[in-house]
Amino acid sequence: MQKRSLLRLAALATLSTAVATVSAVPSARAQNESLKIGFVGVTSGPAAAWGISNVRSMEALAAMLNEEGGVRIGDKTYDVEIVTFDDQKDPKRAIAGMEKMAQEGIHYVVGPNVDDGAAAVRPVAEQNGIIYIPYAFPKELYSPPASNAVLGMVANYQSGPAIYKYLKENEGVETVAFVSANESDPLSQRDSGVAAAKELGLEVVSDNVTYQVDTTDFTPVLTPVIRENPDLLVLSGVAPANAPQLIRSARELGYEGLISTETAQDAQVLSEGAGELANGFISVGGASTPEIASDRMNAFVDRYTKMFGEYNDESNTKVYALQYILDTLAAAPEAVDDVEAFKAAMDGFEAPNPFMKGEDAKLHYVGSSSFGQKRQLAVPLVVNVYRDGAFETLFVAEVD
Amino acid sequence: MGTGLRIAGVLLFLAIVFLGVPWAIQASGRWDFYYTLTSVALLAIASAGVWLTFYIGRINIGQGAYALTGGYVSAILVMQAGWNFWLTLPVAGIFCALVSVLIGLPILRLRGVYFAMVTLVLTEVARLTALALPITNGAKGITSIPLPGEVSILGLTLIPAIDTFGDVKLAFYLVAAALMVIVFAGMYRLVNSRIGHLCRSLQQNEELASSIGVNITYLRIVAYAISSFLGGIAGAMFVAISQSIYPSSFTVVDSVNFMLNCFLGGLAYVFGPILGTLVLYFGWDLLFETGRFQLLIYSSVLILIIVLLPNGLLSVFERKRATAR
Amino acid sequence: MEQILANGLYLGAQYALIALGLTLIFALMNVLNFAHGQMYVLGGFVTYTVYGQLGLPFFVALGCSALTLAVVGALIERFLFRPVLARSHREESSMLLAAGIAFFMDAVILLVFGEKQRGVPKIVGGVLNWDFRLIMPYDRILIGVLALLSIAAFILFMSYSRTGRALRAMAQDRVAAQLMGVDVDRYAMIGFALGAMLAGLVGGLLVTITGVNLGMGGPTSIKAFLMVMIGGAGVISGAIAGGFILGMMESVGLTLLSAYGDITYLVIFASLMVFLAIRPQGLMGKPWG
Repeated sequence: MQKRSLLRLAALATLSTAVATVSAVPSARAQNESLKIGFVGVTSGPAAAWGISNVRSMEALAAMLNEEGGVRIGDKTYDVEIVTFDDQKDPKRAIAGMEKMAQEGIHYVVGPNVDDGAAAVRPVAEQNGIIYIPYAFPKELYSPPASNAVLGMVANYQSGPAIYKYLKENEGVETVAFVSANESDPLSQRDSGVAAAKELGLEVVSDNVTYQVDTTDFTPVLTPVIRENPDLLVLSGVAPANAPQLIRSARELGYEGLISTETAQDAQVLSEGAGELANGFISVGGASTPEIASDRMNAFVDRYTKMFGEYNDESNTKVYALQYILDTLAAAPEAVDDVEAFKAAMDGFEAPNPFMKGEDAKLHYVGSSSFGQKRQLAVPLVVNVYRDGAFETLFVAEVD
Repeated sequence: MGTGLRIAGVLLFLAIVFLGVPWAIQASGRWDFYYTLTSVALLAIASAGVWLTFYIGRINIGQGAYALTGGYVSAILVMQAGWNFWLTLPVAGIFCALVSVLIGLPILRLRGVYFAMVTLVLTEVARLTALALPITNGAKGITSIPLPGEVSILGLTLIPAIDTFGDVKLAFYLVAAALMVIVFAGMYRLVNSRIGHLCRSLQQNEELASSIGVNITYLRIVAYAISSFLGGIAGAMFVAISQSIYPSSFTVVDSVNFMLNCFLGGLAYVFGPILGTLVLYFGWDLLFETGRFQLLIYSSVLILIIVLLPNGLLSVFERKRATAR
Repeated sequence: MEQILANGLYLGAQYALIALGLTLIFALMNVLNFAHGQMYVLGGFVTYTVYGQLGLPFFVALGCSALTLAVVGALIERFLFRPVLARSHREESSMLLAAGIAFFMDAVILLVFGEKQRGVPKIVGGVLNWDFRLIMPYDRILIGVLALLSIAAFILFMSYSRTGRALRAMAQDRVAAQLMGVDVDRYAMIGFALGAMLAGLVGGLLVTITGVNLGMGGPTSIKAFLMVMIGGAGVISGAIAGGFILGMMESVGLTLLSAYGDITYLVIFASLMVFLAIRPQGLMGKPWG
């Protein structure tokens, strides 16, 4: 029997060396010096789609740039290397991820994807001089004294009012109902959505129906809401996995009004999950609708599809983060390892927007009116409407 | 094992934790390991509580609820009552212990999977309660919590502010490690005391224990209260580090992980939770460079370990110990 | 009212079918299978691939789901659970193995099928609308009926077939069954395969209504645990009752409590805890299961 426990020990030892070697494999490459950009967010579990669309858009864009010879910053040319960390949507792990990024000498990180993670990494980011770009909406992350977080997309309290106003004026919407998952991010988004709707003079007929994210049948959830028969049904902060089922249940219950959300969605998912019932569904996206997508955007989509088999429309918004980081670095080369220089450059930064058609499409930082300082990427606020498997542009707006 | 050997072992462990680790981090420059090891120490404390409920024969998948409660108690006292963090730490633990007595009285009668399930639901109840209550600030969470400040009596500094020495990471690591050492020393003492032996009798046969005059209700409540106390302080410490708390800060996944830490270390060993937490949590971090295969490798290694050592990692030494005695 | 009942019945039928497989495995081997939800998800993805992508008939796809999962279940039992259970001192240790398998299946599903929500074309179109008192799409009705049929078939199988009787004997008393000449090892494998097959089957059925994504596994397991607890662990009738009760509770609870919004699920979960505290063995379980 002595032998047996020896065997076990030997097996364990082999295992741990295997783990050690795997984790020590160097990620070598490049004639150019490499510029590491980090990602900390969720790429496994129920919310995996959010983080994966981030990671893939970063990797696809980096691959394009490296193939074109790298990125010119100051008098050096860099190859872009993406370092990713899966926080499993756990704020405690997100902190560990941010520590890893600091360890790797990374100063620019995309993510986290949710409110709690974005709040939890703040101390680490500030202590280590890291600028991070969360996809979370709490205002205190971006308002002074906080200064290292830059909102990566249009917040729902910015897009919501624009959508409601448009629908009020063009579709005659008067009553609105809100449904959201009983989790932090969607609930916060619902509350600010309700406030925005009331401000516009819309009547909120239902705002307290919530669901568990693991719901498999939304009919019971929506039955009381549909009974109020609102002109507009807002799915606050809806996850791409839940959206098609909610739409389908609402339509099958006989609801005929408009349905909208302020988060980015994927056309393929809508088409598989709800089919033609999803026609007319309004959501927010970046710039890949044919009307406004530039050749660069189309090349990016091709590249993404080639690398990962299938495009995700959420990446329309998410591709901007890396582009902003690199362009701002190019404008202020000393910021490569000094985030204060980056912050200083943000105020006056302006560069052409490669993903959108038109000469006046620009990249610049916004957020003054929401946060009191420029801590938001100006991603074009493209409001889409889904029709037969693709998105069409409803209108385009800008956030200030 | 002789007493001398045991003392030597303890000293070696303390030397590794308080001198070896900081030295190794200094030498290798892997500063990020401070946070990882701080987490391991804190999660091990919470897991120790779960281990104790295993010790009385209960599968506890509800520790996340107490970690969350402890975190909120600390955050609310710091933010709204202006307390010093160090005072809130024991209060968070005691509050959780009191809550657990109320909850434990009815549910500790349950056994096996039934107890496991009720505790699992408890975690979700805690999250939903945190979302619904006004004092917890609901979905928006509590953010921008200040770092722990100094505690002084009549101008005499008892505990310096956490950022006194410049390196917050090191300070948190030392605090967490010290807490872990104290907790596990206490656990060791408890398990080898009269109460510990009685607990073990509960694990094997409650009816028998009861028939020979053991007050099993009292014993169960005490064990569960200690368990929840540990969950509470671990949760509060995490809040101090992340300076924020949300209803999703501790979820069902955490509760399950606390339980898995105990299994992996070995249910028969007091120090099992430390090793289990170290392997499960640190293992994930080490694998981070494997990118999208991280979860695949992680889970494969996990399954292999279980198949090789179904009684936990520490059972490697079982045969040896048996012959040594 | 009719609407609420119909919603509850439909939910109940699908829940009961999920819970059946879990309770079967628990009854036979005292294993709380944390990977049950992942098996369900895998079943959904198999049907998605065969029916949605390859365009084969739906029932073929359903068969593929059931078969795949039966094989996966048998392999898991034979090569993972059996050796671990044989050597572990406390049978709860199998929970760690089950969780490890759940992680592993999550990883495989992510790599093979991707992170996106998937759905398949409707199997039948149209909506039954009875005077706006009861609205139910036909595909939902069909899936509900198929779920009920599967439950009935399972009960018949357990009651009258030789295998079913052996399994029931084993669930009641493993040692006695062994003494009576039941090949316990073989039937444990068959039972596990059967439980996994049920998970795959319901995954295949539901992918037509709710679609499938890799994140559904964990929460589905937990919901299935709840149903099993309500009905009583390891009791087949209990799992069915638990499924229908949870379905009804959600349907009725969501309607009655919709005015109070956020606390609906808090009330549902809290009353579950109270129920279990009062009646620890669930509705029909053996006490102290």
